[in-house]
Amino acid sequence: MKLYHLSDVSEPNLIKDIFPYYLPPIIKFEGNIKETIDGKEVEFDPRSVIDRDIHITDTTFRDGQQSLPPYSKEQMVNIFKMLSRLGGSNGVIRQTEFFLYTKKDREAVDACRNLGLRFPEITGWIRANKEDFRLVKEMGLKETGMLTSCSDYHIFHKQKQTRREAMEEYLSVVEAALEAGIRARCHLEDVTRADVKGFVVPFVQRLEKLTENQPEHLKVKIRLCDTMGFGMSFPNAAEPRSIPKLIWRMKEECGISEDRLEWHGHNDFHKVHINGACAWIYGVNAVNTTLFGFGERTGNPPLEGALIELISLKEELMGVDLAVMTQLAGYYQKEIDAAIPFNYPFVGRDFNTTRAGIHAEGLRRDEEIYNIFDTAKLLNRPPKVAITDKSGTDGVAIWVNDFLGLKGEERLTLMKVAKIQRWVMDQYEKEGRLTAISDKELEDQVKLHFPDLYKRANNRESNL
Amino acid sequence: MEGEEIGKRIISVTARELGKKPEQIKYEHHFANDLGADSLKSIELVAAFEEEFDIDVNEEEALKVRTVGGAIDFFKKLLSN
Repeated sequence: MKLYHLSDVSEPNLIKDIFPYYLPPIIKFEGNIKETIDGKEVEFDPRSVIDRDIHITDTTFRDGQQSLPPYSKEQMVNIFKMLSRLGGSNGVIRQTEFFLYTKKDREAVDACRNLGLRFPEITGWIRANKEDFRLVKEMGLKETGMLTSCSDYHIFHKQKQTRREAMEEYLSVVEAALEAGIRARCHLEDVTRADVKGFVVPFVQRLEKLTENQPEHLKVKIRLCDTMGFGMSFPNAAEPRSIPKLIWRMKEECGISEDRLEWHGHNDFHKVHINGACAWIYGVNAVNTTLFGFGERTGNPPLEGALIELISLKEELMGVDLAVMTQLAGYYQKEIDAAIPFNYPFVGRDFNTTRAGIHAEGLRRDEEIYNIFDTAKLLNRPPKVAITDKSGTDGVAIWVNDFLGLKGEERLTLMKVAKIQRWVMDQYEKEGRLTAISDKELEDQVKLHFPDLYKRANNRESNL
Repeated sequence: MEGEEIGKRIISVTARELGKKPEQIKYEHHFANDLGADSLKSIELVAAFEEEFDIDVNEEEALKVRTVGGAIDFFKKLLSN
């Protein structure tokens, strides 16, 4: 066993190349990942994400809307505008797809398109039949997704077809799209439960053959749909659940390039985010997401998680304005009445709120100890403490100083806020209280004990 | 201010804050172990000393003081400066 000796350093090693704080923590790799496919070892280079055009596609208005009451046209336009600002001018949020079935859907597409925003590009979503395809043509879209279910669960038990009948029908709709100059994006529904070598690969090889002589903008795109969340990110997991093997077969055996490959996941096994990230790492350029993960049943990869992951992989912001995430979360809760759990990462009310006194003490000494990155600058969400009987005098000191906007030497010491902490403890020990102290109650205490500072803070607030 | 007066006032404030008689407070008493001061009470004690001597103290240094004698020495040094 190799013996390691303590490095008793005089200065702390804060590993800033991985935890820069001004960015989310960086994801670094130190070598290739090996996978055994058909008895042979193949390698994937995860470091390729730095150079590849990895990006996000959005299905908030399609899959996302399937789990919530329908959005109004105005709401869709507002969300679309915020998605555009969030993803930035580099098109990190590259595309978003719309249903085309109702008049409202089509009006929303028109209204969003009329905004003239470059990103996200608008695409459609239809079932693979020629009647639905008419809608795409009428709307003048350049690309549409089409449902091409792959598993025998769907082909035999839902569609009541043979594999050949299903494949020929799918191919005929793709041919119709090509004739109309529309790019087909085939959604390989239930692909993680399909016969990969017996249906998926032969079908995608036929698709590729169909568009191999077409110009780049008409070449078929493939969306790998993990419809039931069965996909596995673990190296050497068996097919059909293996995400690495599926991606390898698409690229190496079907000739689908990374820019025409997309991953669409579901969260039935709590694997939705990591499976999307896995798809990026193993060679898919687009991960399909929804805002806050809202989607059919347990939902889709959360867009905000994918953004943070992408920034961590790329080691830069890529033009993303993360603070818009905070605005979107507020919009969803106020205007759409959608519930976001308090502890939901990045946007939940309490995602960076500490309750434990010992954590509050650390936070007061150096916010980096208990804050994941500079959430104040990046998300407009400074770390907070919730005041209870467990948050201690340190917690009260953070709350009071932040409320009063005091910095550096001006910040009040534990001794100065001790009277407020005594009042807090009396609430629990003498009054038998069981709920957290509200911001309003704390504000009243500040007003009582620090009237001059309270007045100064209020004046500053009203001058902003 | 004389050192003896500082000592008397520290004992008087300690007794008042901890609900004891001044004669019960000894120089060697540990605030937490002998006099039952929890973490909040310790902070309140320092706040009461600040008020008594009309002085602001360094929080970190003040909260390191654990005994009555330590507090007397701490304030003697601070006030002599």
